[in-house]
Amino acid sequence: MHSFSSRPALLRRSAVAGLGIAALALAGCTGSPQPGPTGEPDPDATLRLGLVLEPDNLDIRHTSGAALEQILIDNVYEGLVTRTEENEIVPSLASEYEVSEDGLTYTFTLNEGVTFHGGGELTASDVVETYNQVRSDETLIGHDQLAHVVAVDAPDDRTVVLTLDQPDQNLLFALTGRAGLVFDEGDETDLKTAANGTGPFTLADWSQGDGITFTRNDEYWGEAAGVAAVEVSYIPDFTAGVNAALDGSLDVLTAVQADLAPQLDGQNGFTLTRGATTDKATLAFNNQAAPLDDVRVREALRLAIDHEALVEAVGAATTQYGPIPALDPGYEDLSDVAPFDPERAKELLAEAGQEDLELELTIPSFYGTTVSTFLVSAFNDIGVELKVDPVEFPTWLQDVYTNKDYQLSFVLHVEPRDFGNFANPDYYFGYDNAEVQELYAEATSTVDPDESAELLAQAARIVSEDHAADWLYTGETITAVGPGVAGFPVHSINSRIDLAAVTLATE
Amino acid sequence: MSRMGLPSRLWRLSTGRFGLIVAGVVVLTALVSLVWTPFDPRTVDISHRWGLPGWPHVLGTDGTGRDILSLVMAGARTTVLVAIGAGLVSTAVGVLLASIGALTPRWTREAVAVLIDILIAFPVLLIAMMISSVWGGSLWVVVWSVGIGFGVSIARVTRPELRRVSRSDYVLAGRASGLTALQNLRRHLLPNVAPVFIVQLSWSMAVAVLAEAGLSYLGFGASVTEPSWGLLLADLQQYLQVHPLSVVWPGLAITLTVLALNLLGDALREATDPTLRGRHVPGPKAIPHTTPGVVA
Amino acid sequence: MIRYLLTRLTLLAVGLLVASALIFTVLRVLPGDVAQLIAGTQGSAAQVAEIRRQLGLDRPLWEQYADWIGGVLHGDLGVSMLTGSPVADELWEKAQVTLPLGILSMLIALLISVPFGVLSAVRRGRADGTAISVVSQGLAAVPVVWAGMMLVVLFAVVLGWLPAQGFPRSGWAAPGLALRSLMLPALTIGVVEGAMLLRFVRSATLQAVGQDFVRTGAAKGLTRTQALIRHGLPSVGLSIVTVLGLQVAGIVVGAVVIELVFNLPGIGRMLATDVGSRDLVMVQGELLVLTGFVLLIGFVVDLVHHAIDPRQREAG
Repeated sequence: MHSFSSRPALLRRSAVAGLGIAALALAGCTGSPQPGPTGEPDPDATLRLGLVLEPDNLDIRHTSGAALEQILIDNVYEGLVTRTEENEIVPSLASEYEVSEDGLTYTFTLNEGVTFHGGGELTASDVVETYNQVRSDETLIGHDQLAHVVAVDAPDDRTVVLTLDQPDQNLLFALTGRAGLVFDEGDETDLKTAANGTGPFTLADWSQGDGITFTRNDEYWGEAAGVAAVEVSYIPDFTAGVNAALDGSLDVLTAVQADLAPQLDGQNGFTLTRGATTDKATLAFNNQAAPLDDVRVREALRLAIDHEALVEAVGAATTQYGPIPALDPGYEDLSDVAPFDPERAKELLAEAGQEDLELELTIPSFYGTTVSTFLVSAFNDIGVELKVDPVEFPTWLQDVYTNKDYQLSFVLHVEPRDFGNFANPDYYFGYDNAEVQELYAEATSTVDPDESAELLAQAARIVSEDHAADWLYTGETITAVGPGVAGFPVHSINSRIDLAAVTLATE
Repeated sequence: MSRMGLPSRLWRLSTGRFGLIVAGVVVLTALVSLVWTPFDPRTVDISHRWGLPGWPHVLGTDGTGRDILSLVMAGARTTVLVAIGAGLVSTAVGVLLASIGALTPRWTREAVAVLIDILIAFPVLLIAMMISSVWGGSLWVVVWSVGIGFGVSIARVTRPELRRVSRSDYVLAGRASGLTALQNLRRHLLPNVAPVFIVQLSWSMAVAVLAEAGLSYLGFGASVTEPSWGLLLADLQQYLQVHPLSVVWPGLAITLTVLALNLLGDALREATDPTLRGRHVPGPKAIPHTTPGVVA
Repeated sequence: MIRYLLTRLTLLAVGLLVASALIFTVLRVLPGDVAQLIAGTQGSAAQVAEIRRQLGLDRPLWEQYADWIGGVLHGDLGVSMLTGSPVADELWEKAQVTLPLGILSMLIALLISVPFGVLSAVRRGRADGTAISVVSQGLAAVPVVWAGMMLVVLFAVVLGWLPAQGFPRSGWAAPGLALRSLMLPALTIGVVEGAMLLRFVRSATLQAVGQDFVRTGAAKGLTRTQALIRHGLPSVGLSIVTVLGLQVAGIVVGAVVIELVFNLPGIGRMLATDVGSRDLVMVQGELLVLTGFVLLIGFVVDLVHHAIDPRQREAG
């Protein structure tokens, strides 16, 4: 399951070993440098937040796109469990949960006093109905992720039991996403333009092109939100975003582009935070199409790329040499698999009989030109002429994703824990390796998370050694936090922004 | 017959001189860039990103370390191609539509007039979006969308003129004296309307250059494989507030070229229309041919 | 006159119908569709098919067209495929940004082009006349994107007088703020457009100067300027009005780039977004209204011309 980021946060940062960043990120110790609020948090404050890509509609059950999860999950909608900004699973609507030793039974105990914005009270039957809907209706997003759930029961009003047909290592994590969101039984709200969730904010207003407004849910079952309202503006142009921050129209600006960051750093009381993400900038090879079905060609293309230099050009990014990023289980530093070696690349191409190769890169037009420019130059140095074809996203979906009619493609895969794509021979990569598929199946059905991670790492190494794709970098996200703002998340901003703990001091 | 001596007549006008010189420089640069540029415009050099003008990068470098002067030189190629391509297509479309709209029986004339009005409502941008949606962004998108979009504009503006000339005395006399429609067209009609179209050709090239800038900014025009001024402008402009100098060069190149083409059009107009100072009703000459925001 | 009116009205209606068919077909040619976009990359083929069915995209084309046109004739432009909100409502909302922007730009363009255009024509050959001409030529050649950014740097970043981007969420409820948000965009368009219009005004004035009635006016004892104003200006004015009519329509339709650079929630940007997400019903409705708008303006301008200048009748 994938969502694609609108524009990658292209940020400047000098290259640091991937593992180092991973450690830092996971420890969270670079996270949340709180800019000194000058006074006490104002409970009536309105937080003005600037994001980039606006959702087409708010239907979180039917419409795909990271933009929806980013803003709606944890703020308006909640699930039994959720994840922190470092992708750790923590309880949410369920006060506690238990997994049986054989991994086939999940028992959740619901919190008390949870109400929906529309007025209903949360009971186990709401969960049962919601999850059964997801299981049976294939137009609901998350349907595939509950494939191993065979029954959802409510032994009493406060308990929900999920029964599986085999252990599913991904299930709990899936429940932190769309698959796990709980809706009111029998609710008739039109999700495209309205919302009825349990979260610390209610949806006050949404107007396409104007942004979204949340107001604090005073009946929230947990700790009340730190601000009275949040006004989200969508500013697709990066410079416009920076200007909005500079002229005081925003309290927080996300996805600050690295080259523009100096304008905000320390200006007008803004401080910058850098966070890790699972945004994998993936240069996909069509493994089924000649000449890319030849592993030597694929390896040559990877060796032609100086990943450290690219990371510097992109700005806020870290190197990535395999399909699993630092924030996901199974991460390993695979830089030994594809070091920068243009001479060897030329040799490989000669071996494969592919000198003077011409290839085409299909790339959605909203990504900007840094990556394409870099690739054109890098491939030119090994004798490969790269033609770049920028397309609109629906066209990409049709040509590349559905029809697999492409040679190279660049897209930012932002979903965490999506390694499964490489174990899916029907995915647009066209990568079909039985060993990887077996390892992945085993990893998914292993009950012990550490064992599972170990298996994933093995599979990831094979995928990288097969050169199934090139992972150009993993994005980092720079956020400009204005004076008086505290508690704003640092990591994973593209997929989740938990606003509940944010406070704003207005004086 | 009035076209002999045109270049020299153009040269005598200051506008014509400026236009010819600048256009000449652009074409020359384009040709030179085919064999030599200070650096390969495609080569990135991350360690020298955002260099200020100096040596060896005379105009500095962009966000990936590419040499701006080389990019501007190579971009001239694109500019020349787009300008000529769009210019020709738009003139052809304009001639075709205007002819049908002026020279055929009443029914088709009116139909074409309305068709033109409808098509004018489709801004160049929209045509570009649709073409690029089907075939992907590329310079052809610019050529065809400007060609069609501006061609329709040309038709709208020249159709009344064409009609007027077609009904003027000498043309009618030509028919009366037994010439076939085609012969009449060639001998009397065309020489008198040709200046109008030549002038429009020059302006359409100016529009094309501006359109390329705008469409590339939006992602429908040039892609990274073809160095272009518009794309360079689009890339660099994002960083205008942190690296203001870099964006000056492609912007200047575009502005000068467009200016030259506009002035050339003006000069052509002056040089080919003997009745300029006379009793002419305000004609097709100077109707502003594009709208900001539509193309650029 | 009545017959002329009727003919043109019929042509207008026919024109709209043809436009609608053109719009409809062209949009269906675009690759990719909104169903795929909604389903996204999690979508199975079955999911996409189901969404298509829900949106009515699987029906035969003529049926979809008839459905749409039927609705339009009843005043119903349909609802968005993505949000379900009525097309007409969205259009009206976005028009409240784009129309004022267009009008403001036009005013600025007029303020620049008319006085300076006339001046540069009257002072032709003199230093100031030439200077105006040269400067206007230069300004008209500037890419609007560039112009916009320059103005932002100057007025918003350096001087801080005007907002760099955006439009107040409250819309026109706070008219001062809304107006300030439109100033820079309008200035950007207005200056470049004004420079272009200036050349037209100049040439139209020049032509008027050479006209017989101006000489006649001079013979009657009016000064050249007086003759110009009394006799020349109306015809110049008529030409300007004609051109303006076309230009306003163009601005309303095409200010996409400006709306992007300045982050304004207007019609142009909405159109670009909707095409990008293949929300066909929205785009159809938007294009039809816009085309209708342009056709209407053309119709009115033609009528005015016909009523005022009988010589135009011959041009057919």
